[in-house]
Amino acid sequence: MIRLIIEKELREIIGSTRFAITFAICSILILLSFYVGARNYQVSLARHEAAKRENIRRMEGLTDWFSVQEVRVFLPPQPLAALVTGVSNDIGRTTEVRGRGELSAEDSRFNDDPIFAVFRFLDLDFIFQIVLSLFAILFAYDTISGEKERGTLRLSFANAVPKDKYILGKLVGSFLALAVPLVLPMLIGCLLLPLLGVPMNSDEWLRLSLIIGCGLLYFGAFLSIAIFVSTRTQRTSSSFVMLLVVWIFAVLIIPRTSVLFAGRAVDVPSVDEIASQKNRLSAQLWEEDRKKMGTFKPAASNNQPEKIMQEFNSFMQSIADEREKKMEEFGGRLNEERANRQRVQERLAFGLARVSPSATFSLAATSLAGTSLSLKDHFREAANAYQKQYARFMKEKTGMVTGGRMMMFRNETDNGHKPKPIDPGEMPSFAYDPPSVGNVFGAALPDIGLLALFNIIFFIAAYVGFLRYDVR
Amino acid sequence: MISTVVTKELKAIILTPKFTATFAVCSLLMLLSVYVGINEYRASTKQYETATQLARQEMREQSSWMGLMNRTYRVPDPMQIFVSGVNYDVGRWSAVNQFSTVKLRHSAYSDDPIFAVFRFVDFSFIVTVVLSLFALLFTYDAINGERESGTLQLTFSNAVPRAQYILGKLIGSWLGLVIPLALPVTLAILMMFIYRIPLTPEHWSRFGLILGAGLLYFTVFIAIGLFISAVTRHSSTSFLVALVIWVLAVLIIPRAGVIGAGQLVPVPSVAEIEGQHDAYAKQRWQHLNDENGKRWQERNAQMSNFTKEEREKYRDDHLWAWMEEDDSARKAMQKETDRHAVKLNEDLRNRQATQQELAFILSRFSPASSFQLTAMNLAGTNIDLKSRYEDAISVYRETFNKFTEKKQKESGGMGGIRVTFDSDAGFKFDVPRERGSLNLGDMPQFTAPARSLREVLPPTMIDVGLMSLYAMAAFVAAFLGFLRYDVR
Repeated sequence: MIRLIIEKELREIIGSTRFAITFAICSILILLSFYVGARNYQVSLARHEAAKRENIRRMEGLTDWFSVQEVRVFLPPQPLAALVTGVSNDIGRTTEVRGRGELSAEDSRFNDDPIFAVFRFLDLDFIFQIVLSLFAILFAYDTISGEKERGTLRLSFANAVPKDKYILGKLVGSFLALAVPLVLPMLIGCLLLPLLGVPMNSDEWLRLSLIIGCGLLYFGAFLSIAIFVSTRTQRTSSSFVMLLVVWIFAVLIIPRTSVLFAGRAVDVPSVDEIASQKNRLSAQLWEEDRKKMGTFKPAASNNQPEKIMQEFNSFMQSIADEREKKMEEFGGRLNEERANRQRVQERLAFGLARVSPSATFSLAATSLAGTSLSLKDHFREAANAYQKQYARFMKEKTGMVTGGRMMMFRNETDNGHKPKPIDPGEMPSFAYDPPSVGNVFGAALPDIGLLALFNIIFFIAAYVGFLRYDVR
Repeated sequence: MISTVVTKELKAIILTPKFTATFAVCSLLMLLSVYVGINEYRASTKQYETATQLARQEMREQSSWMGLMNRTYRVPDPMQIFVSGVNYDVGRWSAVNQFSTVKLRHSAYSDDPIFAVFRFVDFSFIVTVVLSLFALLFTYDAINGERESGTLQLTFSNAVPRAQYILGKLIGSWLGLVIPLALPVTLAILMMFIYRIPLTPEHWSRFGLILGAGLLYFTVFIAIGLFISAVTRHSSTSFLVALVIWVLAVLIIPRAGVIGAGQLVPVPSVAEIEGQHDAYAKQRWQHLNDENGKRWQERNAQMSNFTKEEREKYRDDHLWAWMEEDDSARKAMQKETDRHAVKLNEDLRNRQATQQELAFILSRFSPASSFQLTAMNLAGTNIDLKSRYEDAISVYRETFNKFTEKKQKESGGMGGIRVTFDSDAGFKFDVPRERGSLNLGDMPQFTAPARSLREVLPPTMIDVGLMSLYAMAAFVAAFLGFLRYDVR
C-alpha cells in the first residue's frame, strides 16, 4: 500500500511542468554557487599570495633584523569558506605581529571592498537556505489540501487506505521526488571543484558532504512543515499564503531579530572602551619605563660598543617583559570579561534564532565549513602561536623583542664595508590549520540534531493533523 | 467605467483575509525594522560619544606633541535607521597622526561578528524583499484568476473596453496595496519623533525620496505581476513564474552582477597595496638612516681636532640643532612616503571604480538592485561612504599635523626617547624636555563629510529612471498581452 502511495506521489511530482521548471532553476543556482565559490576561492588565493609576497619583499634589502619591526600574517582562504562564507568576509584577515603585545586582526574583506558588502555573496549556505526551503514549500503546500480541492482525497479514502500510511507515503514520496534530484546538481557541483582547481583534501570532502547532508535535513524540515500546514488548511491558497509568511519569518526575520534582540538584552563592553583602557595603561607604563630607561648605566667595566649594545638590549628586554606581563594581566582580564559577555550574548542570540530551521541550518553549515564565529578566535590563536615563534626568532637575531615603538638607527661609523642584507627567507612562516573534522562536527552536532528534531516534530504534527483531517 | 473597475479591484483586494494577514505582517515588519534601526542608531551614537571622549582623554594624557595619536570616528547618521547599507561593514575609525596614513579600520561587523552572522533588518531590506513579494502575491492572478473563476468572461459580456479594464486593474491594485502602507509609514515617522531622532529637513527630504523610490519599486513589481497574469492561463503557473522572477530579481541578479564584476575586473587586495607601500617606506627609512649616518660622520669629522672638553661643549651646544636637522629630514621623508601612499591608493581606487561601474551595470538588470543602490545613495550609506570619510579624514590629518608641529615647535621638544652609543661619548640617553598633560583647547576638530542633496540626486536619477522604465515596460507588456488575451 505505502509503496503505491509513494510511487503515485513520485510520478505526480516528477511528471509536472512545475517540477521541470523549478528543478532546472534550483540546479542552475546550486551549480552557480559552486562555480562562484570556486572562482572566488581562486581570486582570494591569488590576492593572498600577492599579499604574502609583498610581505616578504618589503624585507628585502634590509641589512639589519632590527629594521624588520613587524611582519604580517594573513588568514589564508579556505576552499570551504568560499562555499559557505559565514563570517569569513566580516572578520579581519590581516594581523600585524610585532613579537609581543595583543594582536588584532584588520582588513576584513567587506571593509576592503565594500562593493561586495552591498549585495553580499552568493554562496551555498544562501542558496540552500533560501532556494531549498522555497522549493520544498512550492511542492508540498498543496499535498493534502490540493488533493482535497481536486476531490482525489475523497476518492482515495473511498478505498481501504489507512490514513497513517497515506501521510507517511506522501512525505516519503515527496522527499524522494524532490531531494534525490537535488543531489544531482550538488554532486556535479562537487565535481566542478577539482576541475576548477580547488584543492580539497579528504577532510574537507567529508565536511562538505556533511554540509550537503545538513542541507537535505533542512529541506526535509521545510517539507514536513509544508505538509503539516497543508493538513491544517482546507484550501491551497490559504496554505500557500500561510507558508509564505512562515518562510519569511523563518528565513529572513527570526534569525536577524533574535541576534538584534540579544544585542540589546546583553550588554557587552564596547571594543573602544576596552581599547582605551588598555591604551591608557600602556601609556602610563611606558611613561614609567621611560624614567627607568633614563637610569640605565652600562657597567663601568664595559666599554666596547658591541657589549654596551648587548647590555642595553637585555635591559630593554627585561623592562619590556615586565611591562608586557602587566599589560597581559590587565588586558587579559578585560578581554575575558568581554569574551564572557559575548558568550552569554551569543548563547541567547543563537538560542532564540534556532527556533527557525534556517538559522539552525546556517549555524550548522558555518560550523562545518569553519566559518562560524569561532573562526575569529581560531585565527587569533594561530597568530598568537606564530607571535611566540616570531619573538623567539627575533630574539635570536637581535637579542631583543621590542614589540614596535622603537626606532633603531645604527650609524656604524667605523669602516666602509657594506653590511650584508638579511635573508627574509629565514623568517618562520605562518601556517593556519583549519579546525579538525572532529572539532567542527562536535560544534555542529547540536544543530544537526535540532534539524533532525524539526523533521520529527513537524512530521508528527502533520501526522496528527491529518488523522483528524476532514477528507470531504 | 474605469472608476468601476478600480473600485471593484480595490474591494477585491482589501476585503480578503489574505490581504489582512499579509498586510499585518508587512506593517509589523516595517515597524520592527524602524524600531530596530532606531535602537541601533542610538547605540552607535552612544558608542561614538564615548569613543571620541576616550580618544580625547587619551590624548590629554600623552606627553609629547610629536607622537600625539588621535583617532577620528565616523559620525553615526540617522539615515542609517532606514538604510544601513555598508555602514556596518566599513571601518569605524581611523588613526590620525604624523606616522600612519589614514585608513578606516575596525568595522562594526569585525568587532562584533555576531551581528554579521544573520545581518540586519532595515527598512530598505523589508521593502526590497518583503514588499516586492507582497506586490506579486496580490497581482499574480489579477487576470488569469478572474478567468479561472469565470468572472472575466462575465465582465466582457458587457461593453467594457479592454484598455480601460487593464488600466483600471493596475490603478486599483496599486491603490489597494499602496494606501494601506501609508499606515505603517506614518507610524514609523511618528516613532522618529517619539524617540527624538535628530532629523534635519534635509534628512526628511532624503527620507521622502527613499519612500518615493520604494513606491516606484513597488509599482514595478505590481506591473510585473499584472504582466505575468496577462500572459498565462492558470494562476498556478503565473504564481510559479512570479516566484521565479522574484527569486532572480531580488536574490540572485544583484549578487551575481557584483560577483561577475569581481571576476572580470580583478582588484589587488588592501594587504597587497599596504605591503607595497611598506616596502617603499622601509626603503625610505633605510635611506634616511644612511643619510643620518653620513651627517653624523660629518659632524664628528668637524670635531675631530677638538679636545675632549671642547668636543663635549660643542656637542651640547649643537645637539638640539642637529636633532632638528635630523627631524626635518625625517619629516621630508615622511611627506614623500605619504605622497607615495596616496598614489598607490589612487591606483587602487581607480581599479575599484572600474569594478564598481561594471558591477552596478550588471546588477541593475534587477529593479531590486536599482532600488537598493538608490536608497543607499540617498541615505549616504553607499560604497562611497568609505572613500568619502577617508578623504575627509586625510584633509583633517593635514590640519591636525600642522597643529601638532606648531605646538611641538612652541614647546621645543621632539618627544620620544633617544638612546645614543658613541665610541667616544659612550652611552647617552635623552628624554624630551616637556612634561605634563597637553592642552587640547585649540586643537582642530574633525567635521563629518556632508553631501548636499544636489550631489546625491544625479546618481539617483539613473536608478529612478531605470525603475520607471521597468515599470512602464512591464505595464506596456501587460497591456499588449491582455489585448490578445483569450477571456474565455
